Amino acid sequence: MTVEAGIGYALIALGPSLALFVSVVSKKPFLILTLLSSTLLWLISLIVLSGIWRAFLPLKSTIWWPYAILIITSVGLQEGLRIFLWRAYKRLEDVLDAFAERVSKPRLFLTDKMQIALAGGLGHGVAHAVFFCLSLLTPAFGPATFFIDRCSKMPFFLVSALIALAFGTIHTFSMVIAFNGYAEQNKVDQVFVPVVHMVAALMTLVNFALEGCLVGIPLLYVMAILTLMHCGRMVWRRLTEN
Amino acid sequence: MAQSSRPPSVLDSLGEEIIKIVTPVSICMFLVVILVSVLDSSSSSSSTSAASMATIAYSENDSDSSWDKFIGAVWNSLAFVAIVTVVTFVLVLLFYLRCTRFLKFYMGFSAFIVLGFLGGEIALFLIQDFSIPVDCITFFVVLFNFAVVGVLAVFVSKMAIFVTQGYLVVIGMLVAYWFTMLPEWTTWVLLVAMALYDLAAVLLPVGPLRLLVELAISRDEDIPALVYEARPVTHRDSGHEGRVVQRRVWRERPNSAHDPAEVPKLNSTVNPALHGNSTNDSMSNTNAASIANENVTNTVAVQETLSQCLEGESELSAPLIDHRINVSPQGHEDAVPSENLALEGIGLGSSGAIKLGLGDFIFYSVLVGRAAMYDFMTVYACYLAIIAGLGITLMLLALYQKALPALPVSILLGVLFYILTRLFLEIFVVQLASNLLMF
Repeated sequence: MTVEAGIGYALIALGPSLALFVSVVSKKPFLILTLLSSTLLWLISLIVLSGIWRAFLPLKSTIWWPYAILIITSVGLQEGLRIFLWRAYKRLEDVLDAFAERVSKPRLFLTDKMQIALAGGLGHGVAHAVFFCLSLLTPAFGPATFFIDRCSKMPFFLVSALIALAFGTIHTFSMVIAFNGYAEQNKVDQVFVPVVHMVAALMTLVNFALEGCLVGIPLLYVMAILTLMHCGRMVWRRLTEN
Repeated sequence: MAQSSRPPSVLDSLGEEIIKIVTPVSICMFLVVILVSVLDSSSSSSSTSAASMATIAYSENDSDSSWDKFIGAVWNSLAFVAIVTVVTFVLVLLFYLRCTRFLKFYMGFSAFIVLGFLGGEIALFLIQDFSIPVDCITFFVVLFNFAVVGVLAVFVSKMAIFVTQGYLVVIGMLVAYWFTMLPEWTTWVLLVAMALYDLAAVLLPVGPLRLLVELAISRDEDIPALVYEARPVTHRDSGHEGRVVQRRVWRERPNSAHDPAEVPKLNSTVNPALHGNSTNDSMSNTNAASIANENVTNTVAVQETLSQCLEGESELSAPLIDHRINVSPQGHEDAVPSENLALEGIGLGSSGAIKLGLGDFIFYSVLVGRAAMYDFMTVYACYLAIIAGLGITLMLLALYQKALPALPVSILLGVLFYILTRLFLEIFVVQLASNLLMF
């Protein structure tokens, strides 16, 4: 539906991420590098998943439980990736602290660590939006639009942009929560993140039902707001107790 | 805030040089993708590119089988690589015979051809597609001025660095766009062939690019080539005072300190007789050292910290500024033989800033442009792969401290990701997304 609509859909999916990028990440080159690497790792995990599942695709679109298995395995792999990222981050933190001593600068502050986690999460969120929403958006720049049967009230592009926005938020802030949880050995935070991710992903199965997206998308936003609030509370607590 | 602001954390400036190279590469790729998707080449345009030099061995038709296309593409690439090798050896010979003026003129001439003719043709395509009302005379005047300023920007070193960098990116973009008009199989095999050629030419002892680099080092001159050099990082922290300046270049020049504000302290490792071996072990040191390097070479006339440079220094710094320019850019289709992708390598410039040859810009953009002709998902995947490859190459550069080929890792990763995306990822994501299932 013309270039303006296409850009509009892209901005719906990526607007807040872009705002975060411009205000926080673009100021520090290291955070840009973190964002690029975490995007790359997310892409690699997605390629591995698609390699594993290639033999079983295309799935019939009427039965829903193969999709459930697919989602469960995918979320499992990505949470495993998050733990791997945490380990890599711990080692990176040591290297950075050693470097800081060498150039006689202070060690990493708490806000620095949170910014690195935020950049990592933003990388995941951007990768999700790019691969699940933007790459399908090409027809939206043309003269027509597209509706799918299961969700006939809104154009397909709008629906996928909204879902990408919700997931982007979830990815971005759950990385901050997860890193903080691992750092503080806080069991609640450590469990919160995979659970929220799994629940949100399984909730998209609701979209399978006819007009399911009218219920699925608001539920997804509930999860996103939950993540945001939890992250906000946690950050506030950590910053005020120091 | 009531308190004084915190001392700058180490996170503020780490990785700045890498970003300064990644940014123009990304901009060039982005522009080529925009051009490719806007100018939407139909099949008719592929017939116009049939007469290019990269397709002399075989012209692809849509009706040939995949195997025929592949074999034909291999022949094309071999022919192209052979031509490039010959031209690069000619370049090495000319450099050896010290025909620097000729090389400089030739480079200026090629820049003019690329900007004037290739740029003009692409502008014509755009005017046609968008029905922009502009008359011949205005068009020619603007184009001529644009090309001439471009030639001056790469020829004359006293131009504003932003203009020079901009023109280099534009030249890379124009040549890359023309390369994307080659037939598909030829493009992919050509990219892989060029990556392997680059590997051989820079690392093998008989490789032409390595000979060129060694000649340049032994004469302590700059290699005549179209090279993008990131602006040297300028830091004004107090951390410099009292710190020994470490010169972290792989080609060193006898140089006394320039900065009047600080007591010049040259590291004992800076020794004119030493070529290229600094005592550095880790990448963090690279960053620290090249950051510290700035007070020696921050030169190009438009830098903000000019106030520190005395008049007299400009003479001392003049030979340091004179990097870049000279010799040839990139091959393009017509009769002009495809020039040497001279200095496709990556290295540290005399100012400690990272240099990337224009050939690298071009081939990265060709890969991404060709991926754009299929779908945008492949574009994102290939972009990430290329940036990852560039990062790996930069890390290897810090580790090995000599000129390295920048093409192989990125191109091979890019081609790998393209194939994986096209075979596996696309159907996976489309299946899920069209059912509105996401994770």
